[in-house]
Amino acid sequence: MMQFLRDLLLFFRRDLRIASTYRSPFILEAVEALFGATTFYYVARFVDSPSLRAALPQGKTYFAYSLVGFVFFDYLNAALDTFDRSLQEARDSGTLEPLLVTQVSLPVVLAGSAFYPFAATTLRIAVYVGWAAALFDFPLNAANWLAVAAVLAATLLAFSGMGILSAAYLLLFKRGNPAKWFILGVSSIVGGMLFPVEILPPWLQVIAHLNPVTYALEAMRGALLDGAGISTISHSLLLLLAFGSFLLPVSMLVFSWVLRRTKITGTLTHS
Amino acid sequence: MFSGGRHAINSRVSDSAIILDSLEKSFPPASTGWRAFLQPFSNPTSPALRGISLQIRQGEAVALLGANGAGKTTLLRILATLLLPTRGRASLAGHDVLTEPAAVRRHLGYHAGSDLGFYARLSGRQNLSFFGRLHHLADDFIAARIRLLAERLGLQNALDRQTRTLSSGTIQRLSLLRALLHQPKVLLLDEPTRSLDAIAAAEFRRFLKSDVLARQGTSLLFASHTMQEIEFLADRVAVLEEGRLLAFDTPTALRAAAQSPSLEEAFSKITGRRLHPAGEEAP
Repeated sequence: MMQFLRDLLLFFRRDLRIASTYRSPFILEAVEALFGATTFYYVARFVDSPSLRAALPQGKTYFAYSLVGFVFFDYLNAALDTFDRSLQEARDSGTLEPLLVTQVSLPVVLAGSAFYPFAATTLRIAVYVGWAAALFDFPLNAANWLAVAAVLAATLLAFSGMGILSAAYLLLFKRGNPAKWFILGVSSIVGGMLFPVEILPPWLQVIAHLNPVTYALEAMRGALLDGAGISTISHSLLLLLAFGSFLLPVSMLVFSWVLRRTKITGTLTHS
Repeated sequence: MFSGGRHAINSRVSDSAIILDSLEKSFPPASTGWRAFLQPFSNPTSPALRGISLQIRQGEAVALLGANGAGKTTLLRILATLLLPTRGRASLAGHDVLTEPAAVRRHLGYHAGSDLGFYARLSGRQNLSFFGRLHHLADDFIAARIRLLAERLGLQNALDRQTRTLSSGTIQRLSLLRALLHQPKVLLLDEPTRSLDAIAAAEFRRFLKSDVLARQGTSLLFASHTMQEIEFLADRVAVLEEGRLLAFDTPTALRAAAQSPSLEEAFSKITGRRLHPAGEEAP
Protein backbone atom coordinates (compact mmCIF):
# COMPACT_ATOMS: atom_id res chain seq x y z
CA MET A 1 0.00 0.00 0.00
CA MET A 2 2.84 2.40 0.89
CA GLN A 3 4.56 1.57 -2.39
CA PHE A 4 1.31 2.27 -4.24
CA LEU A 5 1.03 5.69 -2.58
CA ARG A 6 4.69 6.43 -3.30
CA ASP A 7 4.09 5.56 -6.96
CA LEU A 8 1.09 7.89 -7.09
CA LEU A 9 3.16 10.69 -5.54
CA LEU A 10 5.88 10.17 -8.15
CA PHE A 11 3.44 10.97 -10.94
CA PHE A 12 2.14 14.01 -9.07
CA ARG A 13 5.70 15.34 -8.68
CA ARG A 14 6.42 14.65 -12.34
CA ASP A 15 3.37 16.64 -13.45
CA LEU A 16 4.08 19.45 -11.01
CA ARG A 17 7.62 19.72 -12.38
CA ILE A 18 6.38 19.79 -15.95
CA ALA A 19 3.70 22.39 -15.08
CA SER A 20 6.26 24.57 -13.32
CA THR A 21 8.21 24.92 -16.57
CA TYR A 22 5.19 26.76 -17.99
CA ARG A 23 4.87 29.72 -15.63
CA SER A 24 2.46 32.03 -17.43
CA PRO A 25 -0.58 29.69 -17.53
CA PHE A 26 -0.96 29.99 -13.73
CA ILE A 27 -1.31 33.76 -14.03
CA LEU A 28 -3.48 33.56 -17.15
CA GLU A 29 -5.84 31.07 -15.53
CA ALA A 30 -6.26 33.32 -12.49
CA VAL A 31 -7.13 36.24 -14.79
CA GLU A 32 -9.43 34.00 -16.84
CA ALA A 33 -11.23 32.98 -13.64
CA LEU A 34 -11.79 36.66 -12.87
CA PHE A 35 -13.34 37.20 -16.31
CA GLY A 36 -15.47 34.07 -15.86
CA ALA A 37 -16.76 35.07 -12.43
CA THR A 38 -17.49 38.61 -13.66
CA THR A 39 -19.43 37.29 -16.66
CA PHE A 40 -21.46 34.98 -14.44
CA TYR A 41 -22.25 37.82 -12.06
CA TYR A 42 -23.57 40.15 -14.75
CA VAL A 43 -25.50 37.46 -16.61
CA ALA A 44 -27.08 36.48 -13.29
CA ARG A 45 -28.03 40.11 -12.58
CA PHE A 46 -29.45 40.45 -16.07
CA VAL A 47 -31.70 37.40 -15.82
CA ASP A 48 -32.60 37.88 -12.15
CA SER A 49 -36.36 38.27 -11.61
CA PRO A 50 -38.93 37.44 -8.91
CA SER A 51 -40.08 34.37 -10.86
CA LEU A 52 -36.51 33.08 -11.20
CA ARG A 53 -35.92 33.56 -7.47
CA ALA A 54 -39.13 31.69 -6.77
CA ALA A 55 -37.85 28.73 -8.78
CA LEU A 56 -34.56 28.59 -6.87
CA PRO A 57 -34.12 27.01 -3.45
CA GLN A 58 -34.98 29.39 -0.60
CA GLY A 59 -32.67 32.39 -0.16
CA LYS A 60 -30.31 31.68 -3.07
CA THR A 61 -29.29 34.12 -5.80
CA TYR A 62 -29.00 32.90 -9.35
CA PHE A 63 -25.33 33.97 -9.35
CA ALA A 64 -24.46 31.68 -6.42
CA TYR A 65 -26.63 28.88 -7.79
CA SER A 66 -25.18 28.88 -11.30
CA LEU A 67 -21.57 29.41 -10.18
CA VAL A 68 -21.71 26.31 -8.00
CA GLY A 69 -23.14 24.39 -10.97
CA PHE A 70 -20.39 25.65 -13.22
CA VAL A 71 -17.45 24.88 -10.92
CA PHE A 72 -18.91 21.49 -10.07
CA PHE A 73 -19.02 20.62 -13.77
CA ASP A 74 -15.38 21.63 -14.03
CA TYR A 75 -14.63 19.00 -11.40
CA LEU A 76 -16.80 16.42 -13.08
CA ASN A 77 -15.04 17.12 -16.35
CA ALA A 78 -11.68 16.45 -14.65
CA ALA A 79 -12.92 13.12 -13.27
CA LEU A 80 -14.18 12.03 -16.69
CA ASP A 81 -11.34 13.36 -18.76
CA THR A 82 -8.13 12.88 -16.85
CA PHE A 83 -7.51 9.13 -17.30
CA ASP A 84 -8.29 9.41 -20.95
CA ARG A 85 -6.03 12.41 -21.48
CA SER A 86 -3.08 11.02 -19.54
CA LEU A 87 -3.21 7.84 -21.62
CA GLN A 88 -3.35 9.81 -24.85
CA GLU A 89 -0.48 12.07 -23.81
CA ALA A 90 1.69 9.10 -22.85
CA ARG A 91 0.97 7.47 -26.19
CA ASP A 92 1.64 10.61 -28.21
CA SER A 93 4.86 11.47 -26.37
CA GLY A 94 6.17 7.90 -26.70
CA THR A 95 6.49 7.54 -22.91
CA LEU A 96 3.81 4.85 -22.64
CA GLU A 97 6.13 2.03 -23.70
CA PRO A 98 8.98 2.97 -21.32
CA LEU A 99 6.41 3.31 -18.52
CA LEU A 100 5.01 -0.14 -19.24
CA VAL A 101 8.37 -1.88 -18.85
CA THR A 102 8.88 -0.52 -15.33
CA GLN A 103 7.56 -2.05 -12.13
CA VAL A 104 4.30 -0.07 -12.15
CA SER A 105 1.19 -1.30 -13.92
CA LEU A 106 -0.88 0.74 -16.35
CA PRO A 107 -3.74 1.28 -13.84
CA VAL A 108 -1.19 2.80 -11.42
CA VAL A 109 0.19 4.98 -14.23
CA LEU A 110 -3.31 6.26 -14.96
CA ALA A 111 -4.27 6.74 -11.31
CA GLY A 112 -1.00 8.57 -10.65
CA SER A 113 -1.45 10.76 -13.70
CA ALA A 114 -4.89 11.79 -12.43
CA PHE A 115 -3.53 13.33 -9.22
CA TYR A 116 -2.18 16.55 -10.63
CA PRO A 117 -5.18 17.38 -12.88
CA PHE A 118 -7.49 16.98 -9.86
CA ALA A 119 -5.26 19.22 -7.75
CA ALA A 120 -5.03 21.80 -10.56
CA THR A 121 -8.82 21.76 -11.00
CA THR A 122 -9.29 22.25 -7.26
CA LEU A 123 -6.94 25.22 -7.36
CA ARG A 124 -8.70 26.70 -10.38
CA ILE A 125 -12.08 26.34 -8.66
CA ALA A 126 -10.70 27.91 -5.49
CA VAL A 127 -9.50 30.92 -7.51
CA TYR A 128 -12.87 31.17 -9.27
CA VAL A 129 -14.83 31.05 -6.03
CA GLY A 130 -12.28 33.36 -4.39
CA TRP A 131 -12.86 36.06 -7.02
CA ALA A 132 -16.63 35.59 -6.71
CA ALA A 133 -16.48 35.95 -2.92
CA ALA A 134 -14.09 38.91 -2.95
CA LEU A 135 -15.85 40.96 -5.62
CA PHE A 136 -19.45 39.78 -5.92
CA ASP A 137 -20.58 38.68 -2.45
CA PHE A 138 -20.59 34.98 -3.19
CA PRO A 139 -21.76 33.64 0.22
CA LEU A 140 -18.72 31.66 1.38
CA ASN A 141 -19.19 32.40 5.07
CA ALA A 142 -22.00 29.87 5.35
CA ALA A 143 -20.05 26.97 3.79
CA ASN A 144 -19.43 23.73 5.67
CA TRP A 145 -15.99 22.86 4.29
CA LEU A 146 -15.89 19.36 5.69
CA ALA A 147 -19.14 18.55 3.90
CA VAL A 148 -17.84 20.23 0.71
CA ALA A 149 -14.72 18.03 0.83
CA ALA A 150 -16.90 14.95 1.41
CA VAL A 151 -19.06 15.76 -1.62
CA LEU A 152 -15.99 16.31 -3.82
CA ALA A 153 -14.41 13.03 -2.67
CA ALA A 154 -17.66 11.12 -3.23
CA THR A 155 -18.06 12.74 -6.66
CA LEU A 156 -14.53 11.77 -7.69
CA LEU A 157 -15.10 8.22 -6.50
CA ALA A 158 -18.45 7.99 -8.24
CA PHE A 159 -17.34 9.36 -11.59
CA SER A 160 -13.77 8.07 -11.79
CA GLY A 161 -15.29 4.74 -12.80
CA MET A 162 -16.74 6.48 -15.86
CA GLY A 163 -13.31 8.00 -16.53
CA ILE A 164 -11.69 4.57 -16.38
CA LEU A 165 -14.31 3.18 -18.77
CA SER A 166 -13.49 6.04 -21.07
CA ALA A 167 -9.77 5.21 -20.94
CA ALA A 168 -10.65 1.59 -21.75
CA TYR A 169 -12.65 2.80 -24.75
CA LEU A 170 -9.67 4.90 -25.87
CA LEU A 171 -7.30 1.92 -25.58
CA LEU A 172 -9.62 -0.16 -27.70
CA PHE A 173 -10.82 2.32 -30.31
CA LYS A 174 -8.03 4.96 -30.16
CA ARG A 175 -10.27 8.03 -30.29
CA GLY A 176 -13.29 9.43 -28.45
CA ASN A 177 -14.56 9.82 -24.92
CA PRO A 178 -18.17 8.58 -24.84
CA ALA A 179 -18.47 8.69 -21.04
CA LYS A 180 -17.62 12.37 -20.98
CA TRP A 181 -19.96 13.08 -23.86
CA PHE A 182 -22.82 11.18 -22.24
CA ILE A 183 -22.45 12.31 -18.64
CA LEU A 184 -21.65 15.97 -19.34
CA GLY A 185 -24.11 16.22 -22.21
CA VAL A 186 -27.04 14.65 -20.39
CA SER A 187 -26.21 16.24 -17.07
CA SER A 188 -26.00 19.75 -18.45
CA ILE A 189 -29.74 19.37 -19.12
CA VAL A 190 -30.94 17.00 -16.43
CA GLY A 191 -28.30 17.51 -13.74
CA GLY A 192 -29.29 20.91 -12.37
CA MET A 193 -26.19 22.72 -13.57
CA LEU A 194 -27.71 26.09 -14.50
CA PHE A 195 -31.38 25.62 -13.59
CA PRO A 196 -33.31 23.53 -11.04
CA VAL A 197 -34.54 20.18 -12.34
CA GLU A 198 -38.00 21.06 -10.95
CA ILE A 199 -38.66 23.30 -13.96
CA LEU A 200 -38.18 20.38 -16.39
CA PRO A 201 -41.11 18.36 -17.84
CA PRO A 202 -42.06 15.41 -15.58
CA TRP A 203 -40.44 12.75 -17.80
CA LEU A 204 -37.12 14.63 -17.79
CA GLN A 205 -37.39 15.00 -14.02
CA VAL A 206 -37.55 11.19 -13.80
CA ILE A 207 -34.26 10.98 -15.73
CA ALA A 208 -32.80 13.73 -13.54
CA HIS A 209 -33.57 11.73 -10.41
CA LEU A 210 -31.82 8.69 -11.88
CA ASN A 211 -28.76 10.80 -12.60
CA PRO A 212 -26.13 10.81 -9.81
CA VAL A 213 -24.96 14.25 -10.93
CA THR A 214 -28.27 15.72 -9.66
CA TYR A 215 -27.59 14.36 -6.18
CA ALA A 216 -23.99 15.48 -6.22
CA LEU A 217 -24.98 19.01 -7.15
CA GLU A 218 -27.75 19.14 -4.56
CA ALA A 219 -25.30 18.05 -1.90
CA MET A 220 -22.65 20.52 -3.09
CA ARG A 221 -25.07 23.47 -3.05
CA GLY A 222 -26.33 22.41 0.37
CA ALA A 223 -22.81 22.21 1.81
CA LEU A 224 -21.42 25.31 0.11
CA LEU A 225 -24.36 27.73 0.18
CA ASP A 226 -26.44 26.54 3.16
CA GLY A 227 -23.70 25.17 5.40
CA ALA A 228 -25.39 21.76 5.47
CA GLY A 229 -23.48 19.16 7.50
CA ILE A 230 -22.59 15.65 6.43
CA SER A 231 -25.63 14.19 8.20
CA THR A 232 -27.97 16.55 6.29
CA ILE A 233 -26.56 15.53 2.90
CA SER A 234 -25.95 11.89 3.84
CA HIS A 235 -28.67 10.64 1.47
CA SER A 236 -26.90 12.17 -1.55
CA LEU A 237 -23.48 11.06 -0.30
CA LEU A 238 -24.66 7.46 0.14
CA LEU A 239 -26.15 7.42 -3.35
CA LEU A 240 -22.88 8.68 -4.81
CA LEU A 241 -20.86 6.13 -2.83
CA ALA A 242 -23.20 3.33 -3.93
CA PHE A 243 -22.82 4.43 -7.55
CA GLY A 244 -19.03 4.52 -7.18
CA SER A 245 -18.77 1.20 -5.36
CA PHE A 246 -20.64 -0.45 -8.23
CA LEU A 247 -18.97 1.36 -11.10
CA LEU A 248 -15.34 1.38 -9.93
CA PRO A 249 -14.87 -2.42 -9.72
CA VAL A 250 -16.83 -2.89 -12.95
CA SER A 251 -14.67 -0.29 -14.73
CA MET A 252 -11.46 -1.89 -13.40
CA LEU A 253 -12.59 -5.29 -14.70
CA VAL A 254 -13.43 -3.84 -18.11
CA PHE A 255 -10.10 -1.99 -18.21
CA SER A 256 -8.16 -5.18 -17.35
CA TRP A 257 -9.93 -7.07 -20.10
CA VAL A 258 -9.24 -4.30 -22.63
CA LEU A 259 -5.58 -4.08 -21.60
CA ARG A 260 -5.16 -7.80 -22.14
CA ARG A 261 -7.00 -7.57 -25.44
CA THR A 262 -4.69 -4.81 -26.73
CA LYS A 263 -1.68 -6.93 -25.80
CA ILE A 264 -3.18 -9.69 -27.92
CA THR A 265 -4.00 -7.45 -30.88
CA GLY A 266 -0.73 -5.53 -30.60
CA THR A 267 -2.46 -2.15 -30.42
CA LEU A 268 -1.57 -1.18 -26.85
CA THR A 269 0.71 1.68 -27.82
CA HIS A 270 -0.95 2.57 -31.12
CA SER A 271 -2.53 6.01 -31.59
CA MET B 1 21.84 -27.45 -43.10
CA PHE B 2 21.43 -24.91 -40.32
CA SER B 3 20.90 -25.45 -36.63
CA GLY B 4 17.88 -24.05 -34.77
CA GLY B 5 14.24 -24.38 -35.80
CA ARG B 6 11.55 -26.19 -33.87
CA HIS B 7 12.70 -28.46 -31.12
CA ALA B 8 11.61 -28.92 -27.55
CA ILE B 9 13.62 -27.14 -24.91
CA ASN B 10 13.45 -27.79 -21.21
CA SER B 11 11.67 -24.82 -19.70
CA ARG B 12 14.10 -24.04 -16.87
CA VAL B 13 17.73 -24.22 -17.73
CA SER B 14 19.83 -22.55 -15.09
CA ASP B 15 22.27 -20.76 -17.38
CA SER B 16 19.64 -19.50 -19.83
CA ALA B 17 18.82 -15.81 -19.97
CA ILE B 18 16.02 -16.31 -22.49
CA ILE B 19 14.10 -19.43 -23.47
CA LEU B 20 11.60 -19.53 -26.30
CA ASP B 21 9.65 -22.71 -26.72
CA SER B 22 7.50 -23.09 -29.87
CA LEU B 23 6.56 -19.43 -29.58
CA GLU B 24 3.76 -18.27 -31.87
CA LYS B 25 2.17 -14.88 -32.30
CA SER B 26 -0.67 -13.88 -34.59
CA PHE B 27 -2.45 -10.56 -34.99
CA PRO B 28 -6.00 -9.83 -36.16
CA PRO B 29 -6.04 -9.08 -39.89
CA ALA B 30 -5.96 -5.38 -40.77
CA SER B 31 -9.44 -3.97 -41.45
CA THR B 32 -10.71 -0.82 -43.07
CA GLY B 33 -14.05 1.03 -43.13
CA TRP B 34 -16.68 0.03 -40.60
CA ARG B 35 -14.97 -3.32 -40.05
CA ALA B 36 -12.10 -1.48 -38.36
CA PHE B 37 -14.51 -0.88 -35.46
CA LEU B 38 -14.70 -4.65 -34.93
CA GLN B 39 -10.97 -5.25 -35.30
CA PRO B 40 -10.22 -5.20 -31.55
CA PHE B 41 -12.54 -8.20 -31.21
CA SER B 42 -11.31 -10.13 -34.26
CA ASN B 43 -9.49 -13.42 -33.94
CA PRO B 44 -5.73 -13.23 -34.42
CA THR B 45 -5.23 -15.04 -37.71
CA SER B 46 -2.25 -13.25 -39.31
CA PRO B 47 0.87 -15.04 -38.12
CA ALA B 48 3.92 -12.96 -37.14
CA LEU B 49 5.90 -15.67 -35.32
CA ARG B 50 5.56 -19.34 -36.25
CA GLY B 51 6.90 -21.66 -33.57
CA ILE B 52 10.21 -20.10 -32.58
CA SER B 53 12.36 -22.15 -30.20
CA LEU B 54 15.75 -21.01 -29.00
CA GLN B 55 17.81 -20.53 -25.91
CA ILE B 56 20.11 -17.63 -25.09
CA ARG B 57 22.78 -18.16 -22.45
CA GLN B 58 23.63 -15.73 -19.67
CA GLY B 59 26.11 -13.15 -20.86
CA GLU B 60 25.53 -14.04 -24.50
CA ALA B 61 24.82 -11.49 -27.24
CA VAL B 62 22.37 -12.61 -29.89
CA ALA B 63 21.35 -10.67 -32.98
CA LEU B 64 17.96 -10.99 -34.64
CA LEU B 65 18.49 -10.69 -38.36
CA GLY B 66 15.65 -10.56 -40.84
CA ALA B 67 13.88 -8.43 -43.39
CA ASN B 68 11.11 -6.04 -42.39
CA GLY B 69 8.13 -8.06 -41.16
CA ALA B 70 10.27 -11.07 -40.23
CA GLY B 71 9.06 -10.90 -36.61
CA LYS B 72 12.07 -9.32 -34.85
CA THR B 73 10.19 -6.50 -33.13
CA THR B 74 7.27 -8.78 -32.27
CA LEU B 75 9.66 -11.17 -30.56
CA LEU B 76 11.31 -8.36 -28.57
CA ARG B 77 7.95 -6.92 -27.56
CA ILE B 78 6.72 -10.29 -26.29
CA LEU B 79 9.84 -10.58 -24.14
CA ALA B 80 9.28 -7.00 -22.91
CA THR B 81 5.73 -8.04 -21.82
CA LEU B 82 4.17 -5.51 -24.22
CA LEU B 83 2.53 -8.28 -26.25
CA LEU B 84 1.01 -11.60 -25.27
CA PRO B 85 2.06 -14.69 -27.19
CA THR B 86 -0.65 -16.64 -29.00
CA ARG B 87 0.89 -20.05 -28.28
CA GLY B 88 4.09 -21.46 -26.87
CA ARG B 89 6.20 -20.13 -24.02
CA ALA B 90 8.77 -17.45 -23.45
CA SER B 91 10.78 -16.84 -20.33
CA LEU B 92 13.38 -14.28 -19.38
CA ALA B 93 15.78 -14.66 -16.44
CA GLY B 94 13.79 -17.74 -15.42
CA HIS B 95 10.42 -15.96 -15.33
CA ASP B 96 7.54 -16.66 -17.66
CA VAL B 97 6.41 -13.57 -19.60
CA LEU B 98 2.77 -14.59 -19.36
CA THR B 99 2.49 -15.54 -15.69
CA GLU B 100 5.24 -13.42 -14.09
CA PRO B 101 5.38 -10.20 -16.11
CA ALA B 102 6.47 -8.00 -13.17
CA ALA B 103 9.41 -10.31 -12.40
CA VAL B 104 10.36 -10.31 -16.08
CA ARG B 105 10.32 -6.50 -16.17
CA ARG B 106 12.55 -6.37 -13.09
CA HIS B 107 15.28 -8.17 -15.03
CA LEU B 108 14.99 -6.59 -18.46
CA GLY B 109 16.15 -3.36 -19.97
CA TYR B 110 14.29 -2.37 -23.13
CA HIS B 111 15.22 0.22 -25.70
CA ALA B 112 12.98 0.40 -28.75
CA GLY B 113 15.38 2.49 -30.82
CA SER B 114 13.00 5.43 -30.88
CA ASP B 115 14.12 8.98 -30.22
CA LEU B 116 10.85 9.62 -28.33
CA GLY B 117 9.92 8.41 -24.88
CA PHE B 118 11.03 11.23 -22.58
CA TYR B 119 9.16 14.15 -21.03
CA ALA B 120 10.31 17.00 -23.22
CA ARG B 121 10.05 19.71 -20.52
CA LEU B 122 12.05 17.74 -17.95
CA SER B 123 15.82 17.46 -17.93
CA GLY B 124 17.60 14.24 -18.73
CA ARG B 125 18.38 13.71 -15.05
CA GLN B 126 14.76 14.37 -13.97
CA ASN B 127 13.50 11.92 -16.59
CA LEU B 128 15.98 9.23 -15.58
CA SER B 129 15.26 9.70 -11.86
CA PHE B 130 11.55 9.38 -12.52
CA PHE B 131 11.92 6.13 -14.45
CA GLY B 132 14.44 4.82 -11.91
CA ARG B 133 11.95 5.39 -9.11
CA LEU B 134 9.29 3.55 -11.13
CA HIS B 135 11.68 0.59 -10.91
CA HIS B 136 11.55 1.11 -7.13
CA LEU B 137 15.24 1.95 -6.89
CA ALA B 138 16.61 4.03 -4.01
CA ASP B 139 17.42 7.68 -4.75
CA ASP B 140 21.12 7.29 -3.85
CA PHE B 141 21.45 4.28 -6.12
CA ILE B 142 19.74 6.10 -8.99
CA ALA B 143 22.00 9.13 -8.62
CA ALA B 144 25.13 6.95 -8.57
CA ARG B 145 24.02 4.92 -11.60
CA ILE B 146 23.17 8.05 -13.58
CA ARG B 147 26.59 9.53 -12.78
CA LEU B 148 28.42 6.35 -13.74
CA LEU B 149 26.53 5.56 -16.93
CA ALA B 150 26.43 9.18 -18.10
CA GLU B 151 30.19 9.30 -17.86
CA ARG B 152 30.60 6.10 -19.86
CA LEU B 153 28.07 7.16 -22.48
CA GLY B 154 29.40 10.72 -22.69
CA LEU B 155 26.13 12.22 -21.49
CA GLN B 156 27.32 14.45 -18.64
CA ASN B 157 26.47 17.65 -20.49
CA ALA B 158 23.02 16.43 -21.49
CA LEU B 159 21.79 15.51 -18.02
CA ASP B 160 20.70 18.94 -16.89
CA ARG B 161 19.17 20.11 -20.15
CA GLN B 162 15.51 19.69 -21.05
CA THR B 163 15.27 16.67 -23.32
CA ARG B 164 13.45 18.73 -25.99
CA THR B 165 16.77 20.49 -26.62
CA LEU B 166 18.74 17.28 -27.19
CA SER B 167 19.61 15.69 -30.53
CA SER B 168 18.17 12.34 -31.66
CA GLY B 169 21.49 10.65 -31.03
CA THR B 170 21.73 11.99 -27.50
CA ILE B 171 18.16 10.90 -26.78
CA GLN B 172 19.06 7.42 -28.03
CA ARG B 173 22.00 7.23 -25.63
CA LEU B 174 19.82 8.58 -22.83
CA SER B 175 17.33 5.87 -23.65
CA LEU B 176 20.05 3.22 -23.39
CA LEU B 177 21.10 4.71 -20.05
CA ARG B 178 17.48 4.39 -18.87
CA ALA B 179 17.38 0.76 -19.99
CA LEU B 180 20.54 0.03 -17.98
CA LEU B 181 19.64 2.05 -14.88
CA HIS B 182 18.33 -0.87 -12.83
CA GLN B 183 21.19 -3.22 -13.82
CA PRO B 184 19.04 -5.60 -15.86
CA LYS B 185 20.19 -9.15 -16.49
CA VAL B 186 18.92 -9.01 -20.06
CA LEU B 187 19.00 -6.11 -22.46
CA LEU B 188 16.56 -6.01 -25.38
CA LEU B 189 17.40 -3.51 -28.11
CA ASP B 190 15.44 -2.85 -31.28
CA GLU B 191 17.70 -1.30 -33.91
CA PRO B 192 19.63 0.61 -31.27
CA THR B 193 21.82 2.66 -33.62
CA ARG B 194 19.07 3.63 -36.06
CA SER B 195 19.29 7.38 -35.35
CA LEU B 196 23.01 7.60 -34.67
CA ASP B 197 25.71 8.93 -36.97
CA ALA B 198 28.57 6.59 -37.87
CA ILE B 199 30.91 7.71 -35.09
CA ALA B 200 28.24 7.77 -32.40
CA ALA B 201 27.07 4.31 -33.54
CA ALA B 202 30.61 2.93 -33.29
CA GLU B 203 31.03 4.39 -29.78
CA PHE B 204 27.66 3.00 -28.80
CA ARG B 205 28.68 -0.50 -29.95
CA ARG B 206 32.02 -0.28 -28.16
CA PHE B 207 30.23 0.70 -24.95
CA LEU B 208 27.86 -2.25 -25.30
CA LYS B 209 30.68 -4.69 -25.97
CA SER B 210 33.25 -3.54 -23.44
CA ASP B 211 30.99 -2.40 -20.65
CA VAL B 212 27.57 -4.00 -20.78
CA LEU B 213 28.57 -7.39 -22.17
CA ALA B 214 32.14 -7.90 -21.00
CA ARG B 215 32.18 -6.09 -17.67
CA GLN B 216 28.64 -6.63 -16.40
CA GLY B 217 27.84 -9.95 -18.07
CA THR B 218 24.47 -8.72 -19.26
CA SER B 219 22.75 -10.84 -21.89
CA LEU B 220 21.84 -8.99 -25.05
CA LEU B 221 19.18 -9.69 -27.64
CA PHE B 222 19.07 -7.07 -30.35
CA ALA B 223 17.47 -6.58 -33.74
CA SER B 224 19.57 -4.96 -36.39
CA HIS B 225 19.88 -4.49 -40.14
CA THR B 226 23.53 -3.45 -39.86
CA MET B 227 25.81 -6.39 -40.61
CA GLN B 228 28.84 -4.58 -39.21
CA GLU B 229 27.01 -4.17 -35.90
CA ILE B 230 25.98 -7.81 -35.84
CA GLU B 231 29.50 -9.02 -36.65
CA PHE B 232 30.93 -6.80 -33.91
CA LEU B 233 28.46 -7.57 -31.13
CA ALA B 234 26.78 -10.91 -31.69
CA ASP B 235 28.01 -14.25 -30.39
CA ARG B 236 25.20 -15.88 -32.33
CA VAL B 237 22.73 -14.75 -34.96
CA ALA B 238 19.08 -15.81 -35.26
CA VAL B 239 17.93 -15.49 -38.86
CA LEU B 240 14.18 -14.90 -39.10
CA GLU B 241 12.05 -15.01 -42.20
CA GLU B 242 8.29 -14.47 -42.12
CA GLY B 243 8.10 -15.48 -38.49
CA ARG B 244 10.21 -18.62 -38.84
CA LEU B 245 13.64 -19.25 -37.35
CA LEU B 246 15.73 -20.36 -40.33
CA ALA B 247 19.12 -20.48 -38.65
CA PHE B 248 20.69 -19.87 -35.26
CA ASP B 249 24.46 -20.03 -35.00
CA THR B 250 27.66 -18.00 -34.74
CA PRO B 251 28.38 -15.60 -37.61
CA THR B 252 31.39 -17.73 -38.56
CA ALA B 253 29.35 -20.93 -38.61
CA LEU B 254 26.59 -19.28 -40.65
CA ARG B 255 29.11 -18.06 -43.22
CA ALA B 256 30.76 -21.46 -43.36
CA ALA B 257 27.51 -23.37 -43.68
CA ALA B 258 26.32 -21.07 -46.45
CA GLN B 259 29.80 -21.10 -48.05
CA SER B 260 29.66 -17.32 -48.16
CA PRO B 261 32.45 -14.83 -47.56
CA SER B 262 30.16 -12.35 -45.83
CA LEU B 263 27.25 -12.45 -43.45
CA GLU B 264 25.15 -10.52 -45.97
CA GLU B 265 25.60 -13.22 -48.55
CA ALA B 266 24.98 -15.94 -46.00
CA PHE B 267 21.74 -14.16 -45.04
CA SER B 268 20.79 -13.98 -48.70
CA LYS B 269 21.39 -17.72 -49.20
CA ILE B 270 19.59 -18.72 -46.00
CA THR B 271 16.51 -16.65 -46.72
CA GLY B 272 16.56 -16.94 -50.50
CA ARG B 273 16.46 -13.15 -50.83
CA ARG B 274 18.50 -11.58 -53.59
CA LEU B 275 20.96 -8.81 -52.77
CA HIS B 276 22.06 -5.83 -54.82
CA PRO B 277 25.71 -5.93 -55.79
CA ALA B 278 26.42 -3.29 -53.12
CA GLY B 279 25.00 -5.63 -50.52
CA GLU B 280 21.62 -3.92 -50.18
CA GLU B 281 18.62 -6.17 -50.18
CA ALA B 282 16.65 -6.15 -53.43
CA PRO B 283 13.32 -4.32 -53.31
